[in-house]
Amino acid sequence: MIAQVYFWIFATVAVLCAGSVLVSRHPINGAMSLVGTMVSLAGIYSIIGSPFLATLQVLVYAGAIMMLVVFVIMVLNTAKDHTTPLFDWTSLFGLVPALGLGALVCKVFQGLDAKASVAMNPNAPRGDVEAISKTLFGAGTQTGGWALLFLAIGVVLLTAIVGAVLLAKRHLDPKPATEGGH
Amino acid sequence: MDSIPMMQLQILSAILFATGMATVLMRRNLFFVLMGVELMLNSANLSFLSWSRTMTGAATMSGQVAPLFSIAIAAAEACVGLAMLLSVFRSRESMDTDAFARMKE
Repeated sequence: MIAQVYFWIFATVAVLCAGSVLVSRHPINGAMSLVGTMVSLAGIYSIIGSPFLATLQVLVYAGAIMMLVVFVIMVLNTAKDHTTPLFDWTSLFGLVPALGLGALVCKVFQGLDAKASVAMNPNAPRGDVEAISKTLFGAGTQTGGWALLFLAIGVVLLTAIVGAVLLAKRHLDPKPATEGGH
Repeated sequence: MDSIPMMQLQILSAILFATGMATVLMRRNLFFVLMGVELMLNSANLSFLSWSRTMTGAATMSGQVAPLFSIAIAAAEACVGLAMLLSVFRSRESMDTDAFARMKE
């Protein structure tokens, strides 16, 4: 009962903040609304029994990724850009697939609702740190090679860092000091 | 703990995904396009976690581990996307998506 009440509070905040991302004018307002959505989703994660993912959501998503977004918004100072409108007439074509997809998914789930197989399993293990680390790094038969994927994610993140540095550099010339010399 | 109906979680996930998709497709500002992608990734994570609660035994933990990789990919995507946005903003001085219709300039 109390979980249901908390779920409704978090779900309302998440949907309202997501709608605020859609309609807010300044990027900082949109980023702060997105942080609200992520924090309420972290609350929902901890309600449905995934405390580790809830922590990760707050630390990585609401902390690191959104900090990066806000940092870039402030560096670029796009508040000077007043000419860009929020929407234009082409946006109507974007509304159709979004609404259609949402309606379709809701319709499919309405049909699934009668079946018992989609009910929550009350005996499912909680996703705490110990269970997740056993699945991720354990060398048992029940692990599906997650450790290898974990290493691959490290390589992907390193590549992303190097790519971001290369993309954001002003000059790829190794000797920029000689540029204005003559 | 487990008294929340599955369908409420899934419909919340669908609403968030549709909102993110609308943000990506409708907004003219490039920052909001990136934020819409983040919103869609978040809703997929919610769907992963709630479906994992319907499984039994070790299959539950696979559903709990997969969003971890999704979050890592989202971090890489935000990193590279913001760097591209930085370099493209320097050449155009604009955040309008129409300003980037022709990349070769």
